[in-house]
Amino acid sequence: MHRRGVGAGAIAKKKLAEASISTLLDICIFCKVELALMSCSSLFIQAKYKERGTVIAEDQIAQMSKQLETFKSNLEEFASKHKQEIRKNSQFRVQFQEMCATIGVDPLASGKGFWSEMLGVGDFYYELGVQIIEVCLALKHRNGGLITLDELHHRVLKGRGKYAQDVSQDDLMRAIKKLKVMGNGFGMIPVGGSYLVQSVPAELNMDHTVVLQLAEKKGYVTVSEIKDGLKWERERACHVLDHLLKEGLAWLDSQAAGEPQYWLPALFSELTSRDVSPEEANQMTP
Amino acid sequence: MSFEWPWQYNFPPFFTLQPNVDTRQKQLAAWCSLALSYCRHHKLYTLDVLEAQESPVFNNKKIERKLSMEAIQVVFEELRKKGKFIPFIWNLEWLDKNKSRCLVMWRRPEEWGKLMYQWVSREDLIFMISVSRNGMVNAVFTLYELSNGDDTEGEEFHGLEEWMLLRSLQALQAEGKAEIITMDDGKGVKFF
Repeated sequence: MHRRGVGAGAIAKKKLAEASISTLLDICIFCKVELALMSCSSLFIQAKYKERGTVIAEDQIAQMSKQLETFKSNLEEFASKHKQEIRKNSQFRVQFQEMCATIGVDPLASGKGFWSEMLGVGDFYYELGVQIIEVCLALKHRNGGLITLDELHHRVLKGRGKYAQDVSQDDLMRAIKKLKVMGNGFGMIPVGGSYLVQSVPAELNMDHTVVLQLAEKKGYVTVSEIKDGLKWERERACHVLDHLLKEGLAWLDSQAAGEPQYWLPALFSELTSRDVSPEEANQMTP
Repeated sequence: MSFEWPWQYNFPPFFTLQPNVDTRQKQLAAWCSLALSYCRHHKLYTLDVLEAQESPVFNNKKIERKLSMEAIQVVFEELRKKGKFIPFIWNLEWLDKNKSRCLVMWRRPEEWGKLMYQWVSREDLIFMISVSRNGMVNAVFTLYELSNGDDTEGEEFHGLEEWMLLRSLQALQAEGKAEIITMDDGKGVKFF
């Protein structure tokens, strides 16, 4: 390609442009330095702070570990002193559990280690867990695997005998929470002021739970009760009730006046105090 | 001793055949057990489905629930099938094709026979018994004596219906412990 010659005017123009560019660059450089300086100083301040912070943090950590050490030794002392009390007194156990919870310690996290060795707390709950499973299994043919916490409590106490340590509902709930580890079989459904303990892996969602809560007082529930009480569509109510039938948790009574009633053996109050008769036990094995 | 009702008896849905297969199975097992123990308690041997419908066992007036005739038949049929699969536990036999009447065996004929044989072998009855040459028990009774006589009063087999009495004795006969004989005024039995 042929280059055209450059005229004087063009040169002058170029010079001017170059000068202005260099001025611009100068300004830029100045600004940059300024900026750099600024960030430098802030870095310096930050470092200072950090240094100071570290010192404070180190202090705190040292202090805290010291506190924790004291706390631990105190707790150990407390635990060994009150071991009997913790095992025997359910009120005491609740408070101990709460105390552990506030410092983020789960005394049931493992069967080994400090807590169970020192206190036997673990053993206590594992034993209870086994008893809970026993009661639930023994009554599954009746209630389909759903039982009120009250009934469970009553039966566990009965099974443990007169001379065993007292067991509170709080203990039961803790033991049940631990049973969840073994799979999705165990769960607790809040109804009224208490809970229903679920020992079979039936899929229960919020809809089922709400219907169970509705049935809690009378032991049964009907479609229109659900429609009125929960403002649901008929289909939704039927769907939930069918599911409860399907899971073996509810029984249908079609002789009731007006409309069919759906009964839950788990909530049938007359049943709560009834023991399993030998005949009933025989029926369990078909 | 008053009859003790199982918890299900006061559970209203117990009187409705359950749609869920598993639940229904539990329900029928409980009904079978209740029907049998009720018959045992009241010494019932023959049941009429129509009559049974009004009997307290299938009709709980307190909670106003009753088992329908169809449901009663299902329960009885279940009882019959059970006896077939678990021999010597219990049994039920229909007396007609329409399944309106049935025999209930809450105790097997063999067991009744055993009870009678034990009674005959009791020492205080020895005055009634001529001991045969080989030293075995040897006694003769009419069927009426066995089921309705004064001597058997208080025994469990007292009041046993004749069809069951005969079957029990036949069972004993098969074991070689008795022989059913024809007497002037009907049937009798000779125990060995």
